[in-house]
Amino acid sequence: MKNKSLLAALLAIVPIASWAGADGDCGLGSRVFDGQKGVAPQVLAITTNGTLGHQTFAVTSGTSGCNPNATVKSNWKVSLFIDENVNKLARDMSVGGGETLDALAALIGVSAEHKAAFFQATKEHFGQIYASDSVTSKEVAVSLKQVLAANSELAQYAVSI
Amino acid sequence: MLYRWVCLTLGCLAPVVCHAGAAYLDELVQHARVKQLAQRQEWRDLLHYKPNLFGHGLRSLADDPAFFLAPGGKTDPEAELEATLAAFFSDVEETDKQQNPQCAFIARYHWLNAELAFDPKRLPPRPCKRFDEWYAAINPYEITLVFPAAFVNSPASMYGHTLLRIDAKGQDEHSRLLAYSVSYAAATSETNGLTFAIKGVFGGYPGVFATLPYYMKVKEYNDLENRDIWEYRLNFTPAEIERLLMHLWELQPIYFDYYFFDENCSYHLLALMDVARPGLRLTDRFPLWAIPADTVRVVVEESGLLKEVVYRPARATWLRHAQRSMDSGQQDLAKALANSGPTELSARLVPLVPEQRARVLDLAYEYLEYQRMAGARGKIESPAVTAARLRALLLARNQLDVPPAPPVPVPRVRPDEGHGSARVGVGIGTDDKTGFQEIRLRPVYHDLLDPEEGYGRGSQIEFFNLALRHTDGDGIHVERLNLVDITSLAPRNRLLKPLSWNIDARFERRRFPDGGRPLVFALSGGPGLAYELAPDVLAYGYLEGDAGASRRFEPDYALGLGPSLGVLAQIAPSWRFDAYARAIRYGVGDAHDARALGVVQAFSFGRRFDLRFEVGREREFDRAWNTAAAYWLVYF
Repeated sequence: MKNKSLLAALLAIVPIASWAGADGDCGLGSRVFDGQKGVAPQVLAITTNGTLGHQTFAVTSGTSGCNPNATVKSNWKVSLFIDENVNKLARDMSVGGGETLDALAALIGVSAEHKAAFFQATKEHFGQIYASDSVTSKEVAVSLKQVLAANSELAQYAVSI
Repeated sequence: MLYRWVCLTLGCLAPVVCHAGAAYLDELVQHARVKQLAQRQEWRDLLHYKPNLFGHGLRSLADDPAFFLAPGGKTDPEAELEATLAAFFSDVEETDKQQNPQCAFIARYHWLNAELAFDPKRLPPRPCKRFDEWYAAINPYEITLVFPAAFVNSPASMYGHTLLRIDAKGQDEHSRLLAYSVSYAAATSETNGLTFAIKGVFGGYPGVFATLPYYMKVKEYNDLENRDIWEYRLNFTPAEIERLLMHLWELQPIYFDYYFFDENCSYHLLALMDVARPGLRLTDRFPLWAIPADTVRVVVEESGLLKEVVYRPARATWLRHAQRSMDSGQQDLAKALANSGPTELSARLVPLVPEQRARVLDLAYEYLEYQRMAGARGKIESPAVTAARLRALLLARNQLDVPPAPPVPVPRVRPDEGHGSARVGVGIGTDDKTGFQEIRLRPVYHDLLDPEEGYGRGSQIEFFNLALRHTDGDGIHVERLNLVDITSLAPRNRLLKPLSWNIDARFERRRFPDGGRPLVFALSGGPGLAYELAPDVLAYGYLEGDAGASRRFEPDYALGLGPSLGVLAQIAPSWRFDAYARAIRYGVGDAHDARALGVVQAFSFGRRFDLRFEVGREREFDRAWNTAAAYWLVYF
């Protein structure tokens, strides 16, 4: 179930744009039991804290989106969030609500009274934000920025993306 | 002597400063000795000292030499405390690569300052910019213990895992995903599963703490591993939270040898909580091993610590729930949509009212995502095709003005409310017309008939399950010892088609033609299928292989294969049974047949006690006999 090619497939729907960072990704280490399903890995998985290999999610210093003291730099926060959650954001925007979209709203500082308008705008412009089958997360961010900028109520938030 | 060591090792340049520092240091050391600070629980918790299992004295669980300032600091609390005080006089400047000891050991600094009231003129406080930035970025306000629970077809996941989430000021249920999570794990890029398992058990890897945005963890557990997440919000005070984070700062560059059984993810999180609230001493309750679910229990049972529990279902859970409220025709349509897309099937969507259309599209999308993340889509089509279909489904859904689907209802019983992980029992019965009395001992964890609330139905893991039997007229012998016994019954439905399986390694007694019942080592296992005949009735079938080894076999072993069928049902909330029939033909080695059939009934009294009745008829080597027994089991 856990698989380097799975990770690639996961990212293939919306490939990570190269965020011009000198460092690697924020803490996604290798996974043990890669691609090994079935009984034997299950039995072995029991002796590794009952989980399949995510022990190796250790943040090392100097990784992109993360500073050496292992929190996410504020100018990377929104991009990293969109990048990591690009599929879930698509899901939420298509129906006009959901936890991931809610968190994005909080991240860019949408106030309580503008939240409904934010959800409505993303729903109406879903086709524009996720404009193609191979859209990248950077393109999603840019399109979202444009949608916000064109909306009188939400234009103030466009700068946060 | 101490000041000379300080000056040489910490680069003190001016002898005058050193000299003045030395005098105050001696004063502080004397003060600390008078107050017996090295014997205090706070110091023990900060340094992770635990009593040695054998012999006297203490030893710190930290294995990284960088954690100790005194040469013998790992076993000498007093020397470590005095070396720490000495280190605080260092004038090392903070850079990206190093910190002043006051900052690197900031939790120790704050506690010692509170106890000894450092004079800022004689021991100047150092600015800790890196810590301050980190702390400000996290902006801590509340601590939550997070427990990813079991998922279907993975008995290993029942064992569980825990991590902490640090919620920031101003965060609410709309922005939980933005919090930081803290987890402790073995740091390795080992890819061989067996090596990883063995080294993980015996401390072969360094364990480190990692801080990651919570949404990454939710993706991993909810979506990748399909585990429900339970979040236990805790009542730590601001001062306690500050202490916890200061100690976490101290531990971030430090490693502990990772031991799967006792010093694992859950244990070390308890150690952080022990530091936050002196006197909590949660780690003391786990001297030998720490099962994650048990560590959640002690936190929940600690009076006043638990604020609220929040449930976060996995995608697979959502899928099972969504299917239940949909007729079979619509379920089939959802599956077809996942394979062909909404344009091809628009004719079948049109007759549905918008509400139904939305639900079918929701199910189709989630099902396709579920398959993609499980790696099941790559064999059928290219990722680009899957991506295109996912987008088409979302576009079709986007046209509808229907709100998102309602959430999965919260299960009645939480994982921490399930039965205790250890079990002992006594029983009496007859076996081939001879009476016996039996004691059963099982340290971990759960079988198919144990009270299932809080556990995954159809999942069984047991380690070292021992049955000691006294047979009338024969004395006391080991009747059976299961080294490992794992069963996974994963029911198949229209959309989800998992394969069930079991594996069992044990010593058991088998009846030979001459009437003897020697202990035989046996290894069995195989794949199977399971179906839900009714909401609480599970029918299953396996094809099992069995390999038995014993001097009594001619020649020493017997290999066999055969079917095994059964029905596992819950008749009433406290009444379950398992009816089974199996046959094995041993064709290789000592050729013979074996058959067994029987019924086990279990009545539970709360989640502490279980009463079982077993009846069965077995046949091996052309001899048949009946067994009947009753057991009283206690969980703790």
